[in-house]
Amino acid sequence: MRSLILLFTFLLTLYAEDEYQLGKGAQVGSLPLYIGGYFSLDYKHEDDIDRYRIDDIAILGYGDYKNFSYLAEFEFKEMYVQTYKNNIKNTTHNNKLYAERLYVDYNFNENYMFRVGKYNSSIGFWNLLPVNVLRETTSNPMSTNILFPKFTTGLNASYLYYGNGEIKVDVMLQHNNDLSYEYNNYKIDKHYAFGISYEMDNYTFKLNSGYFYNLNDSVLYHDLYYMLASAKYESSKYQVLAEVGSQKSKNNYTTDYAGYVQGLYRFTEQHLGIIRVESYDDSVKKIADDMLILGYTYRPLRPIAIKSEYQFHSDSTFNQLLLSFSMLF
Amino acid sequence: MKTVIKISLVILFFSTLLFADNYVVISGSKMKDLSHSQIKAIFLKKITVIDNINIVPINLEARDSTREKFENKVLEMDFERLKSYWMNQHYLGKRPPISMQSSDSVKAFVKNVEGAVGYINASNLDESVKVLYKWSE
Repeated sequence: MRSLILLFTFLLTLYAEDEYQLGKGAQVGSLPLYIGGYFSLDYKHEDDIDRYRIDDIAILGYGDYKNFSYLAEFEFKEMYVQTYKNNIKNTTHNNKLYAERLYVDYNFNENYMFRVGKYNSSIGFWNLLPVNVLRETTSNPMSTNILFPKFTTGLNASYLYYGNGEIKVDVMLQHNNDLSYEYNNYKIDKHYAFGISYEMDNYTFKLNSGYFYNLNDSVLYHDLYYMLASAKYESSKYQVLAEVGSQKSKNNYTTDYAGYVQGLYRFTEQHLGIIRVESYDDSVKKIADDMLILGYTYRPLRPIAIKSEYQFHSDSTFNQLLLSFSMLF
Repeated sequence: MKTVIKISLVILFFSTLLFADNYVVISGSKMKDLSHSQIKAIFLKKITVIDNINIVPINLEARDSTREKFENKVLEMDFERLKSYWMNQHYLGKRPPISMQSSDSVKAFVKNVEGAVGYINASNLDESVKVLYKWSE
């Protein structure tokens, strides 16, 4: 099945109408269908562990027709992982093709939009652009992994208001199974969430809150509530990004706090420096950590990223070096 | 002497205004009035439908000086930041506006296609299109 999808996609791109440009995808004939994708390779060195990985290989298809638009994304996740621990080699393969995102939007007018399907939960900033080639570092902040479900399968209604700035309100509703449980950080069948953001000039502020039901049998708490506050400043040279949040069950905090502040400086269009400070306290797993992450990214072309980062952890045995190569096509 | 300097400065000021380049964002006559932030949202493809009409933003070619001025003044983003924006939008399933080679092509398209929105130098303006927004350099 997956070979057929890949072959079909390849054949479709042969009929691309416009001249192909890397990182922009290609239109299939004159159809309302654009094809693109991305991939990512990475290496991690941590104490006595070395890991080589083909992390993502994904295909995107999207388009619009009148008031409708749609997006489909299929991905091989951790397709090949080779790990050396104390010089003992372990190799795993995963050839399963996941439906990462699959949704249809309907735009009523300039203010209201309605979405149905599986989509990136509209929470914070990082979670909206989570793929290696688009984010600033190879690693993801811990807060984006532990506080809320990365994906929602259900409905999303958005309201946009344009005054002096831009105000956006999002309501997310899931009351059904996930489209693919394996491709989400939480196994959920309920997710009710609300978000509001305000964008003015170079600043954006965002507040999200929600509830989800964790189906995983091995956890202590199934009913979980979260909130996340985010802020971003962006100019031609700088970007400052901060997100902090918390998660609790009905009676206890499951994650007291998790957050980060990240600064990015563009030395030139190709050379970027990143510094991130992270901290979190997971009360259930009894893990707390503080991190300082220093990164350098080289983009020979904008859709290609060659990244390096070093992570200093409060427990130095977790200090690690990460290198990656990723591309959007 | 002071009077001469003052008069010279006033003449200089008005000359600058007189010869400043003026630009306009235009649409067909049926388009409702739009705010600066709505026009920005149209060219960033955040707004795609208004009053049940599909909106079609039209750019000039990538290195056109009017486009550069539009991006800096109206979108408030430079060329590099916009490139980065559209790369992210590709992942989110959105395409940049289509481009046309000349102001005349933009004007003709806007005049004939319902929902089209473009920008041109005000010296090319005529009564066949509606002015949504003006700015000068």
